[in-house]
Amino acid sequence: MRGDGWGEGSPNRAFIMFRLLQGKVLFFTSLSLDYFHLKHSACAKQSLLLEYTVKILKLCGLTQVRWSRYGPEYQDPQIDKEYYRKPLAQLTEEETYERELRKTQVIKAAPATKTSSVFEDPVISKFTNMMMKGGNKILARSLMTQTLEAVKRKQFEKYHAASAEEQATVERNPYTIFHQALKNCEPVIGLVPILKGGHFYQVPVPLAERRRRFLAMKWMITECREKKPRRMLMPEKLSQELLEAFCNRGPVIKRKHDMHKMAEANRALAHYRWW
Amino acid sequence: MAAPSVSCGAAVPYRLFLAGRVSFAREQGLWKAAASGLQTGTRCQILRLKHSPAVTTTKNVAALRRESYTVDFIKKQIEEFNIGKRHLANMMGEDPETFTQEDVDRAITYLFPSGLFEKRARPIMKHPEEIFPKQRAVQWGEDGRPFHFLFYTGKQSYYSLMHEAYGKVLHAEERQDQLRAKGLFSEKSKSKDLIGSRWLIKEELEEMLVEKLSDQDYAQFIRLLERLSALPCDAAEEEFVGRFRRTVTVQSKKHLIEPLQYDEQGMAFSTGQGKRKTANAEAVVYGHGSGKIEINGVDYLLYFPVTQDREQLMFPFHFLDRLGKHDVTCTVSGGGRSSQAGAIRLAMSRALCSFITEDEVEWMRQAGLLTTDPRVRERKKPGQEGARRKFTWKKR
Repeated sequence: MRGDGWGEGSPNRAFIMFRLLQGKVLFFTSLSLDYFHLKHSACAKQSLLLEYTVKILKLCGLTQVRWSRYGPEYQDPQIDKEYYRKPLAQLTEEETYERELRKTQVIKAAPATKTSSVFEDPVISKFTNMMMKGGNKILARSLMTQTLEAVKRKQFEKYHAASAEEQATVERNPYTIFHQALKNCEPVIGLVPILKGGHFYQVPVPLAERRRRFLAMKWMITECREKKPRRMLMPEKLSQELLEAFCNRGPVIKRKHDMHKMAEANRALAHYRWW
Repeated sequence: MAAPSVSCGAAVPYRLFLAGRVSFAREQGLWKAAASGLQTGTRCQILRLKHSPAVTTTKNVAALRRESYTVDFIKKQIEEFNIGKRHLANMMGEDPETFTQEDVDRAITYLFPSGLFEKRARPIMKHPEEIFPKQRAVQWGEDGRPFHFLFYTGKQSYYSLMHEAYGKVLHAEERQDQLRAKGLFSEKSKSKDLIGSRWLIKEELEEMLVEKLSDQDYAQFIRLLERLSALPCDAAEEEFVGRFRRTVTVQSKKHLIEPLQYDEQGMAFSTGQGKRKTANAEAVVYGHGSGKIEINGVDYLLYFPVTQDREQLMFPFHFLDRLGKHDVTCTVSGGGRSSQAGAIRLAMSRALCSFITEDEVEWMRQAGLLTTDPRVRERKKPGQEGARRKFTWKKR
């Protein structure tokens, strides 16, 4: 149920989550409050489908969620090892302040999917979770590893088959290919259905960062699931799509371009957006 | 600043600490302890275990109007309480002079054993200040003219406090200007213990002023105080600001680190226990080893065939750069594979605390390794198919 509610997705969606800056007592200005009031009135204008009204506490660092087992004062854990190994002399004033503040805060338990391992990648974890069906994380993760292996194998074949000059251009690290492919698939602008005068108009709207990432991953997965030949396995198809997206070709990139074209076509409706 | 109010203190309802201010439906003579006429007060405020925003039960408006307690009534209650305390001390065979509130509580639980699960429903005998909510005495004289000049604002204490604070701000700014004019002004920031203390929360302020405040009022007040604290203040102003700050404990001090134990061979070891959902684990971490982990007599590679679980076992050691340096023997029962892994991780982290420095313990705490995960399976509710899933809605 967590998400950045500020201007993301459909305005009829009713989840409002707001995480205030953690403990920045010094920087708690009237600006944040005015923003809150603005957003609040904007949401009040919409149809009040507020399924889950979240009470937003003005005190810094407290987010109250209705059904969380943790209290509002619990902060998210910081798992990065390097954050702690940094010597105190090199810290800026802000960082020292933040360090001191964290000592007084209660911290949630680290989730089971996160470790301090070097092999862990948040994008890969998110993609694995999206691929998962029915809670079968073991299968999803194995598919993911097989995909990355397939990508690596294909690239190595290409590498060995290429001439000396071309070998420098062939990218063999599957993680960079994965990240670059998803980045290439991210749309810049999206369409949102807005109800005006009894009709729903597709209005072009700028997308938040995480919405873009989500759409790229979602398109990739749906494309691989639906357009797969019957006997082909998911890792093979996914590796194929990733390599094509890496080279800015393929159906997912086409879908992104279609989205952009639609947005361009509907740009007259852009003033329907009020946020 | 605060208007003359009837002296009734209530237990401070810290939102952070989730204590409930409880007082019950008034029933005459229900929990009469020994010789004292104990009467409990008003409505009940329920705080759900799952940290939902506080919800009050539907108020009986007519009953609320009868709530005003006169000064004499409260005085009588206090006298009765004191007499009752002395009787109780005599009954328990203790000295009435040195009978503290804790002794009173113990005596009451002994004399009135209650099997009720709700702790707040059990018999209590507390000082009337804690039971009856603070109220205001009459704010106007016999001629009907109010005493305070801000009475007609509706929130006289709040506005007079804001007025005072703003006066101080202006005063401080004036002084700052004078210093600047003289050239004695220095830009050094004040070393205030901003982290060791926090501002009052809204409930605490409401209780202090004996007045209802809105969120905007509270935010406005805090902004003004921050503005005041940012200016160079003298001792009186610092004291004024200090009245609205409360100290915050440093979290890591709450952990008790067990000392190392030594077995017959002289090898240092330490035990730790961990829980996750319904899994319980106990881990023994040895000081010197080769990174071998044995769970219920089985090697960890065989016990946890899934990579994710093994990564969880590796997490505390990798975090502290002690990957191949310790041997672990653990026992685990209950739960599923993931919760067993989580339980063992917590047990190992706790055991490791004995081997490392205090700073590293604090790092582990901030990485979330030392917190028991409170998430458990949510129960199924009647009228629904699962915990959240509702039955299929059928139009007819």
